[in-house]
Amino acid sequence: MTTATTVVDVHGLEKTYGKANERQYKALKDINFSVAEGEFVGIMGASGSGKTTLLNMLSTLDTPTKGDVIVNGHDVTQMRGNQLADFRAQEVGFIFQDFNLLESLTAEENIGLPLALKGTASKIMDQAIHEVAETLSIADLLQKYPAELSGGQKQRVAAARAIVHHPSILMGDEPTGALDSTSARELLDLLTTINQKQAMSVLLVTHDPFSASFCQRILFIKDGQIGSELKRGNQDRAAFYQQILTELGTFNE
Amino acid sequence: MLGKLALAGIKNRRRDYLVLLAGLTMSAAIFYMFANLATNRAFIKANAVVSQASFIFGFGAVLLILITVVYIMYANSFLLSMRQHDYGLFMMLGATRKRVGELVFLETLILGTIATAIGIVLGLLMSKFLVGFLLNMLGLHLAHLSAFYVPAIIATAVLYVGLFILASLFNLVRLTRTTVLKLLHSDELANQPKVKPFRQLVQGTLGIIFLAIGYWALAAIKVLQMTAIPLALVTITLGTYLLFRATILVVIRGLRRTAWAKKHLNGFLLGQLNFRVHNYTRMLTIVSLLFAMALGAITVGSGYHRQLPMMAKMIGTYSIAVHDKTPAEQKLMAQLHVSYSATYTQKRQGKTVYYNADEIAKQPVEQQRYKKSGQPEAHLYTQSLKAFKKSGTQDMDFMALALGKTGAYTPKILSAEQFAKQTGQTVTVTTIRVKDLQQDLQPLKQLSKLENKRFAPPAGMTVGSYQGYEVMNGFFGGLEFMGYFLGIAFLAMLASCLMFKILSGAPGDQRRYRMLYKVGVRQNLMRWGIAKEIGILFLIPGIMGVIDVLFGLQMFKPLMSAPMSPYLGIGSTFLIFIGLYVIYYLITLALYWRIVLPKTTTA
Ligand SMILES: Nc1ncnc2c1ncn2[C@@H]1O[C@H](COP(=O)(O)OP(=O)(O)OP(=O)(O)O)[C@@H](O)[C@H]1O
Ligand SMILES: [Mg+2]
Repeated sequence: MTTATTVVDVHGLEKTYGKANERQYKALKDINFSVAEGEFVGIMGASGSGKTTLLNMLSTLDTPTKGDVIVNGHDVTQMRGNQLADFRAQEVGFIFQDFNLLESLTAEENIGLPLALKGTASKIMDQAIHEVAETLSIADLLQKYPAELSGGQKQRVAAARAIVHHPSILMGDEPTGALDSTSARELLDLLTTINQKQAMSVLLVTHDPFSASFCQRILFIKDGQIGSELKRGNQDRAAFYQQILTELGTFNE
Repeated sequence: MLGKLALAGIKNRRRDYLVLLAGLTMSAAIFYMFANLATNRAFIKANAVVSQASFIFGFGAVLLILITVVYIMYANSFLLSMRQHDYGLFMMLGATRKRVGELVFLETLILGTIATAIGIVLGLLMSKFLVGFLLNMLGLHLAHLSAFYVPAIIATAVLYVGLFILASLFNLVRLTRTTVLKLLHSDELANQPKVKPFRQLVQGTLGIIFLAIGYWALAAIKVLQMTAIPLALVTITLGTYLLFRATILVVIRGLRRTAWAKKHLNGFLLGQLNFRVHNYTRMLTIVSLLFAMALGAITVGSGYHRQLPMMAKMIGTYSIAVHDKTPAEQKLMAQLHVSYSATYTQKRQGKTVYYNADEIAKQPVEQQRYKKSGQPEAHLYTQSLKAFKKSGTQDMDFMALALGKTGAYTPKILSAEQFAKQTGQTVTVTTIRVKDLQQDLQPLKQLSKLENKRFAPPAGMTVGSYQGYEVMNGFFGGLEFMGYFLGIAFLAMLASCLMFKILSGAPGDQRRYRMLYKVGVRQNLMRWGIAKEIGILFLIPGIMGVIDVLFGLQMFKPLMSAPMSPYLGIGSTFLIFIGLYVIYYLITLALYWRIVLPKTTTA
């Protein structure tokens, strides 16, 4: 893998919670990995293993204690203040477990938010919103408020908001966590489509083997360290799913 | 068990409870102070020289009761919004509605009783110190004002506890009628009122009609008498509410469709406003009324304060007259900012007082002329000695320079030679007209005291404009004081009303701004967004309040007859008040920023 096609590059990442004089907890220890452009990578691990912590470092919601994180050529550990906000607004698309939609805005306004922040002209904005709404089959939901949507619909709206501005990477922290199996599957299919059609890199945090089986490569985290890695290669999803289950069996022992 | 849980819930939000308690306590304290002033018969008898003053006090009391009712309703809804999630949780965990209902009832009542008790004590202390301080600052003397007055304590306790019992019952009914699910998700429910053009139009028109009736009622207070105020209060409240309801939503919806709404956080701002418009209309109505009353009361108070010296100036051609000045008086006179001064030698004999023509020619006596309308002319004038001898000697102010036990001596002007020969008691009198009565109040007060010790005018008479001012101050001082007092009271209530509103919205906003932070909104943009949102909340009632006051001052026209006017010089009062309001806005904003803005992790 050459650096030119690398979207995420992580070197010697460490995160310690708690101040120097308090009780400290090392949530991440010497993490190294990279994600190539257009790759669909999963991060798995038990509860408390540090998945959310890692994703927060990558998306600049939190700052590492040590190490480098390079996303699409930007060293995010060197950024401050507005740079960080702008970075999140432009380079990262984020889907959260609890949707994080603004209930005072319609679906359309929620989706348009990243574009509005950039100051996009309203015509171009409308066009972009309708395009992604078409892709995610939520065109008929645009005028509704989040309170009027089902969980699955909300998450699709959230996905639309995450990709409407064509970020260089889409990150999801258990995006299927609050969904039933049908909605979860629909969302994962959508993520796969987005990943393939728009060649957008996807980083998916999950503890669910079924969700993970949609990925091309899976990193397993245990106690803040990457324990092993699994590649799908040419297997179909069902076979990969079995492989993940086996891996989890040995990994967790 | 449930009681313990409830207590734990309160502990978790003790800051919010403290604000609630503080607000209610303040309100009770203010009410006590006012009840004390309004019901203290000895005090009213001693000070209410003007018949309308007791009427004004009564009006103030009614107003304060009404405002208190609304205020407690508002505080109560804040309390409920704070607690409903917990109550929902209790019910979900299997607590019976009856048990939870008891809890709600008790909690509201206990909180209310504590607030009332502390409030009365605070009110006692405030009556003692604050009222004294205010009176001192205004240079007023109100007799028989005691801080401790049992009927006022009873009135405050009965009103407040009564209102809290009502509020508890209301909460009980509200809570037992709402579903558990709604309680649990109360702050996430979208409140999306529909826009119905015809209905909005009717509401808007009705609103304007009501406002017009209210404003008219205030102007026609002479005709309507006591009915004017309740009529105006009801119609203006209704009118404001309807107008806000009809317009705000439409304006927001209209703006939302524009391209402007799609830039930066504008859409979010409009969404926020739209989301809460129903809560906001009620709050904005109350705040605009409070704003109007606070500003109106202070305007009237300061109007008296400013205009009394002005009116006093018209009473006399000189500010003070000093007879046979002593060294001590001389010293005080040196402190005055003199515009015109004259000294005459008098010789008093029988019922006549003789003056030296030379002195009068050298220092002519200033006189006041009146227009046909009866209004005094703006500038004083002087006459030649000849003309003065003819008509000027009958001038009231000139005659007042020589007062005996029963009345004025008859003045006569003699030539210098004749004057030298004239026998009689010799007295010198110095008249001084100062540039600005307000500026020299202190030395004038002392001079007047010293002068009255030796040359007291007959009972009921005054010499010079300063003494006239003192008498008028006694007359109107009560009104002036009430204006300031009510103004400050309403301002304090307005402050805590907005505070409740803001705090009850903060938890939801905290979540929303956290989301915006994650999506990558710059900190500055969020700050601006909040500043705009809160700014709009301050601006709308501010504008409405100013309009209310401009019309409402009509009410004081009969009380402030010419040359006074309720509108004279209101600009500076408005500016000061608006300045205070802006400072309050900035404080609120800073507070809100602290609560709502997500902490940046880079530190
Ligand atoms: N702000 C914090 N302060 C202190 N410790 C924290 C903080 N956030 C997380 N931790 C600790 O760091 C570890 C990793 O947490 P993290 O949230 O990354 O786990 P996770 O893998 O996402 O778990 P889950 O699957 O349950 O979401 C946990 O032991 C957690 O207790
Ligand atoms: Mg997690």
